[in-house]
Amino acid sequence: MRLKPKQQLDLKALKVWRIVAILEWLFFFLILITYGILIKYLTFPVWPIYLILLGVLLIGYFKIFLVPKLQWEKWSYEIYENEVELMYGILVVRRVIIPMIRVQHVDTKQGPILRHYGLSTVTISTAATVHEIPGLEEEKADELRDYIAQLAREADPNE
Amino acid sequence: MNNWKRQHPTAIFIGFISNLKELIFTVIAVLIFGQSSQAGGTMFYTIFFSLILVVSLGNGIIKWVTFRYQLAEDELKIKQGLIFRKRRYIRKERIQSIDLNEKLLQRLFRLVEVRIETAGGGSEPEFRIVALKKQEALEIKNELLHKNPAEKTSEMEETGESLPMEEKSVSKTTSDQPYQWKLTGFRLFITAITSSGIGIAATFVAAITSQVQQFIPDAFYEQFIGWLLHSSILFIGFWVVVILFIGWFITLISTLLKYGMFQIEKQLDEIHITRGVLERRNLTLSATRITSVRIVQNILRQPFGFVSVYVESAGGGRKEEDLSTILIPLCKRKEVTQILENVLPEYAVDMVYTPLPKESVRRYIVRLIFPSVIIAGLLTYFLSYGWISFLLPIMAAGYGFWQYVDAGIGKNESLLWIRSRAIARTEVLIPRKRIQAMTTTQTFLQKFDLLFSVHVSIITSIIGKTFTLRHISKEQSEECYLWYSYEETENNRED
Repeated sequence: MRLKPKQQLDLKALKVWRIVAILEWLFFFLILITYGILIKYLTFPVWPIYLILLGVLLIGYFKIFLVPKLQWEKWSYEIYENEVELMYGILVVRRVIIPMIRVQHVDTKQGPILRHYGLSTVTISTAATVHEIPGLEEEKADELRDYIAQLAREADPNE
Repeated sequence: MNNWKRQHPTAIFIGFISNLKELIFTVIAVLIFGQSSQAGGTMFYTIFFSLILVVSLGNGIIKWVTFRYQLAEDELKIKQGLIFRKRRYIRKERIQSIDLNEKLLQRLFRLVEVRIETAGGGSEPEFRIVALKKQEALEIKNELLHKNPAEKTSEMEETGESLPMEEKSVSKTTSDQPYQWKLTGFRLFITAITSSGIGIAATFVAAITSQVQQFIPDAFYEQFIGWLLHSSILFIGFWVVVILFIGWFITLISTLLKYGMFQIEKQLDEIHITRGVLERRNLTLSATRITSVRIVQNILRQPFGFVSVYVESAGGGRKEEDLSTILIPLCKRKEVTQILENVLPEYAVDMVYTPLPKESVRRYIVRLIFPSVIIAGLLTYFLSYGWISFLLPIMAAGYGFWQYVDAGIGKNESLLWIRSRAIARTEVLIPRKRIQAMTTTQTFLQKFDLLFSVHVSIITSIIGKTFTLRHISKEQSEECYLWYSYEETENNRED
């Protein structure tokens, strides 16, 4: 079997994922707070709040600590001369080949959080599919984008 | 020079009728769902619908008046619109195919619909002129589809613009003897009988019969239902059979009409498909744009070894056929390769399949047993005699095993073929150079058995399509990977 791709995402991507996860987790936290308020003003039983607290904490642990870490560890990619290879996923491990001659365009994009950390996402589109390499350093992402675009241009259409 | 032409006036009528057709569905929907039987309701609906009719008629007239076309030397110019005027020039080089369709209404008036497909997608890859005299339509077709410009100009000088095309088409056919394939009457009949559209038609019939109650007097209806409830299960079974039979009959007739006189003609790089008894439909496919071939065998056809063949192509493809075009409605499985050799030689290979590893039997079976056990459990809990439903998991297991047996994969240098069963058995043939991306996946359950799934993506008319084969072995997944990889030194890639 050929070697697995080795290039990894920027470590700061992990940070960004965690921040996003915290923001999402706040929604669950809101449920806890709502229930707390309900107890105060209405005659709701008190015991479920412990259950909810436990649930929210568990979700928090998984979403904020465990999942992003595993995800980051599992993410790797490699740019070869003739193709791009991606490998990622925790429960479902995906391994993708995108030949350069099938690449239609390459973009970089960044949201506010990524921008704050100087990161960007590279998007590779073929005529049928779209793939992403999330969280590379801005300069590296731009470089990569131009590099892939150039390889895609040069790729031999007769291959 | 300035000779703008309008469509045949029947276009108004045709547009109106097709509006009416849509309206009928709305009326039915309103009747079914909007059961407000207050006084004045009918009055309101009558006014409402007649207003729509008047507006659509007026709209049709305006469309006809404002739509004008002109056939110039190398392009078709079109003007349309009353308030927002639009001019569209369709250049000859951009045209992919021109098809002349004789739908039912057009046929009544001896007219044709011209469908022009242009390259490069864009916002409107397809363009229709609804009603033209056949003569004019052929003129447009020949003017715009003639490939060789030098030849064309010389002929133009000789014959002038308006001369018919007999000469041209003759010169075309003599240059290359086209291959023809026809659906025989017997096969057409088999196609109709074994068509899997029965389910859909039966649902439709059932829906209609359930609505009939509104037109039956209440007293009679109550009596009938009471009687029905008293009567045995056998009797209900009888009704089910009747509904299925009517559904089957409708499918039979519609299939006969749809695929009657089906014919493929291969000429150079183009495949012309003509079909239909009442509505003659014409479709041109470019062989170079076909991205995969699917051989589908539904359960009814399996005992007889009959299959139907579909093609996916980048551009084209009718909506009603799941975005892919039917190439052969029915033929024997063993004839497929021979027909493909003539129509799409690239795809004519002897497909040899390597079966999936033994480990994947379990995955196929468990995947189906799991939901069926849940269903059976629920049924047992809620219904007396519900335990009978535990036959379901047993059937599911058998079915899963069947899916396993049918699954297989094979390849040569340029083609990959995958066989799998959802309900019908499907074989897909995909050329390597048509695959946009290949993915292998491994779920945590597959990990225990070292199994993988492979997904290949291709372009179809609108969006991409991905074909998947589940639970292949590690070796098979690696083989696929190496086969598709564009890197020459796959095995010893080291920095």
